[in-house]
Amino acid sequence: MSLLELKGVKKIYQQGKIKVPALRGVDLIVEQGEFSTIFGPSGSGKTTLLNMIGCLDTPTEGEIRLNGNKVSDLSRKALAMTRRFNIGFVFQSYNLIPVLTAYENVEFAIRLIDHTSELKVKERVLKILEEVGLKGLENRRPNELSGGESQRVAIARALVKEPKLVLADEPTANLDSKNAADVVKIMVKMNKELGTTFIFSTHDPMVMEYAHRYINLKDGMISADERRG
Amino acid sequence: MFSIKLGLKNLTRQKRRNSITILVIAFAFFIYLFLDSVMGGMEQLSFNNIINFETGNIQVAYPQYWEEREELPLENLIYLNQDIEESIKNIDGLLATSPELRFIANLNNGIDEIAVIGLGILPEKYNEVYTTQQYLVAGSIFSPGESKAVIGKGLAELMDLKIGDYITLLIRTKEETFNTIDLEIGGLVNTPHPMINNGIVFVPLDIAQQALNVENGVSMITIRTNKEKEITPIIDDINQNFQKKNINIKAYSWRESAETVIAYSAAQDAETAVVLTVILVIGMIGIINNVILSALERTREIGMMKALGMREWEIVLVFMIEACGVGIIGGLAGCLLGAAGVGWMVKYGYDLSYIGGDMSLYGIPILDKIYGVWNLSSFIFIFFFGIIIALFSSIAPAYWAAHKDPVKALYHR
Ligand SMILES: Nc1ncnc2c1ncn2[C@@H]1O[C@H](COP(=O)(O)OP(=O)(O)OP(=O)(O)O)[C@@H](O)[C@H]1O
Ligand SMILES: [Mg+2]
Repeated sequence: MSLLELKGVKKIYQQGKIKVPALRGVDLIVEQGEFSTIFGPSGSGKTTLLNMIGCLDTPTEGEIRLNGNKVSDLSRKALAMTRRFNIGFVFQSYNLIPVLTAYENVEFAIRLIDHTSELKVKERVLKILEEVGLKGLENRRPNELSGGESQRVAIARALVKEPKLVLADEPTANLDSKNAADVVKIMVKMNKELGTTFIFSTHDPMVMEYAHRYINLKDGMISADERRG
Repeated sequence: MFSIKLGLKNLTRQKRRNSITILVIAFAFFIYLFLDSVMGGMEQLSFNNIINFETGNIQVAYPQYWEEREELPLENLIYLNQDIEESIKNIDGLLATSPELRFIANLNNGIDEIAVIGLGILPEKYNEVYTTQQYLVAGSIFSPGESKAVIGKGLAELMDLKIGDYITLLIRTKEETFNTIDLEIGGLVNTPHPMINNGIVFVPLDIAQQALNVENGVSMITIRTNKEKEITPIIDDINQNFQKKNINIKAYSWRESAETVIAYSAAQDAETAVVLTVILVIGMIGIINNVILSALERTREIGMMKALGMREWEIVLVFMIEACGVGIIGGLAGCLLGAAGVGWMVKYGYDLSYIGGDMSLYGIPILDKIYGVWNLSSFIFIFFFGIIIALFSSIAPAYWAAHKDPVKALYHR
C-alpha cells in the first residue's frame, strides 16, 4: 500500500460565472519515504495540488487516498483530524505565532496530538530543535530569528509530531540562497533519519537539486515525473 | 491547555488596541460604581434624615388619623391612658417613645405671615427619639410649660427672627375657632433635614394642647428602637398588645413615610438599569471590535492553526480567553478607579450647592452635601458582569474567525 494515491483528481474553482480549472486530472502515487518536488510555471496548480494532498481542501472530482483511506470526501472536521495526526505543513511565510518562543511554537504542534507527560514533550521539542540546528535559540521570539531560522522552527513544528507526510509550499521562496540550501538540507536530513515523506514545491532549480523525485506540473496536469539518485 | 496559554499570550499583542478597549470598559465600570455609590448614599442619607428628624423608627397612630396624616387633622387623636402606655412599654428592642401633636399654623412675626407646621413635643422624650437637639445652633430647647419655641435656621432667616424675638402662631382649634399662641424664640436648629430647617415650629406639648383645645390628645407616638433593620417584630408586638386590649391603634414603620424617597430610589434603579445597559453595549462593542480586528490581522495565523489540525472550538477558545483577559483587566481597572471615586465620595462628599442645592424640591430630604456609600456587592457584581459580557460577546466573532476556510485563510483569498 502506498502512502499517497491520487486518481483523476480535478479541481475547478468557480470565479463568478467563470470556471477556472486548477487541476485537470492528476494521477500520482507517492511511496513512504520519498523526497519529491513539484515544480512548474506559476499558475500550474502546485499550491492547489499540495492543498488537496494536505487535506486542506477536497477535489471537485477524483479520489485521494492517504494510507489507503479515502480522504477526498471527508467532512471538514474529519479532514482537520487527518491533518492533525498525519500531516505536517511548512509554509512559504513561516506562519510562526509571534508571541510564542521558538520552543513554544514547536510545542504548540505536539500539544495538539500528545497529552502525555510534560517531561516527554519537553524532551521531544528540545531534540527536534537541536536536529534542525536551533540549539540555544529555543527562547527567541520569531522577531528575534532570521528568515532561515524561522523556517527551521517551522520545519521543527511540522516534524515534532512525527507525521508520515510533510508538505511544503515554496518553503524557500522568502530565503536567500544560502539559507534556502540550509533549509532543504535539513529536510533531506530529516527524510533520511526519520523516513518522513516530503513533498515540496519550488521555483528554484538549486533547491530542486536536492530532491529524489521531480514532478512537473503544467496547466493542472503532470507533464513529467522522474526519479533520480 | 495550550489554547488558554496562547489566548493569554495574545493579550500582549496589539497592546494599544487592547489598552483602549480596557480603558473604555474601565471607564464605563467607574461610572456605574460611582453612580451606584452616590445613589446609595443619597438613599441612606434620606432614610437617616427621615428616621432622625421626621418619624423615628416606628409611629403609632389611629388608622383613621394615619390615612389623613398629611392634612394634620385634629380628629382621631390619641388620648394617652394607662392601657395605651402599657401597650408600648416593655417591648423588646424599644428604646424611647415620644408623643407629639402636629398642627397647621401660620407664623406671624409682626410684619409677615407664613404657613408652618406646629409640632407640640415633650422635650425630654423628643430628644430620646430624635437627634434634632444635636443641631441646636443658638439658644436652648424649652421646658414644658414655657412659652418658647424652637425653629429652624432657614425659617428664622426667612422671617428675620433671632433668639428672644416674639412670634405669634395663628391656629384653628378642634372646634374650628381661631386662636393664637404667643411664643418667644428660645432656640434655633440647623439640621440636615430641609423640612425641619424651613417649616417647623417646635412648641411645648402642653401649650399646644391647651391652645388647640384637644385636652391631652396627641397625633401620634413616635418610637426609637435599638434595631434599625429589624423593626417588623417590634411593630408586630405593639400591634398585638393593642389588639389584646381592644384598642384600634396601629404601629407603622418609618418606611411608610419614606415613600417618596423609596419611589425615587426605584426610579434610580431604573436609571441604573439603563446605565448598565449602556455599559453592556459599550463593553460588547469593544470586545466584538477587538476580536474581529484581531481575527482579521491574524487570518494567516488562523489558517496555519487550521492546517495543523486545530479544532474550531480550540481556536474559539484562544479568542475567548483573550477577550476574557481584556474583560478581567478592564474590570479590575474599573473597580480600582471606582474604588478611588467612591472612596473620595465617602470621605469628602459632594456639595449639593454646586447643582443648585436643595434636593427637598424633589421630595428628597437632604440638604447641603451627599456622601457616597461603599457597596461591595456592586463591585463584585460589575466585575463578573464584565467577564460574562466579554465571554458572551466574543463567542460569535471568535466562531466566525475559527470557521474560516483554511485555504482562504492561508492564502488570503
Ligand atoms: N480560490 C481560487 N479561486 C479561483 N481561482 C483559483 C483559486 N485558487 C487558485 N486559483 C487558480 O488556479 C490556478 C492554479 O493556482 P495555484 O495557486 O495552484 O498555482 P501555483 O502553481 O501554486 O502558482 P504559483 O507558482 O504562482 O504559486 C491558477 O490559475 C489560479 O489563478
Ligand atoms: Mg503556489
